[in-house]
Amino acid sequence: MAAPSNSLKTTATGYVGYRGGEWHYAFLLHRLTGLGTLLFLIIHIVDTATVYFYPSLYEHAIALYQSTPFMLGEVALVFSVIYHGVNGLRIAAVDLWMENRWSIKAQQMGVRGTFAISVLLWLPAAAIMLNALLEHNFGIHIFGG
Amino acid sequence: MKTATKRKSNFEATAWKWMRYSGFLLIPLVWIHVLIQDVIVGVHAIDIDYVALRWASIGWQTYDILLLAFAFAHGMNGLRQVAMDFVHTERGRKATNIGIFILWLVVSLIGAIAIIAGARPELA
Repeated sequence: MAAPSNSLKTTATGYVGYRGGEWHYAFLLHRLTGLGTLLFLIIHIVDTATVYFYPSLYEHAIALYQSTPFMLGEVALVFSVIYHGVNGLRIAAVDLWMENRWSIKAQQMGVRGTFAISVLLWLPAAAIMLNALLEHNFGIHIFGG
Repeated sequence: MKTATKRKSNFEATAWKWMRYSGFLLIPLVWIHVLIQDVIVGVHAIDIDYVALRWASIGWQTYDILLLAFAFAHGMNGLRQVAMDFVHTERGRKATNIGIFILWLVVSLIGAIAIIAGARPELA
């Protein structure tokens, strides 16, 4: 076994340097969206718990979430949750039920389908959220008066 | 000579499978939560009275407990799996596992106490 510092470097450079095609990006995006969602989740659990532990603090937390950078983050969070779910379903399906039908072509189609389905599910949600952002934070009404 | 190294428990195999099964449950659980709170209701309509109203119902309390239990455990085990790709020494892995376990336990308890005890808008 390599020394810890070497193996860390190997893993880190391997993450970015390995050219495995679209499934490599699917893997990277799965980890990135998972870790991003987890980071938000830890903050979200603790700030929501203030409604019991420190009720006067909650409105400050919500005010922060209503700010433009956090609302843009929310749009990214929704993409993360959608992509992680769709891609996770693909991973679970391949691992649990499709071990005998593995082929490069099928995997490639699966990964491309995962990207497409995620974006299609995300776009309407993103449109609604960006509309709310424009309306509440900039007073711009795109739909209606 | 037998080449396979026998382990006392197959914890990692169970955790690996559990990530897939909990994932199936989390797709409806998380997506419905996000659809309601982020997309339909929106962060501008949320305040402590809204949370108090939600947790006055045993149904939403149960829903949020399930969400907390499955989503956070899934996430923390995911973090553990990613960490195992970077930490290769026996000691480092043990420390990482213990650290992640304690963080999971503390944050889970904080969340569970709040959901069960409910919001206190009268103190806000």
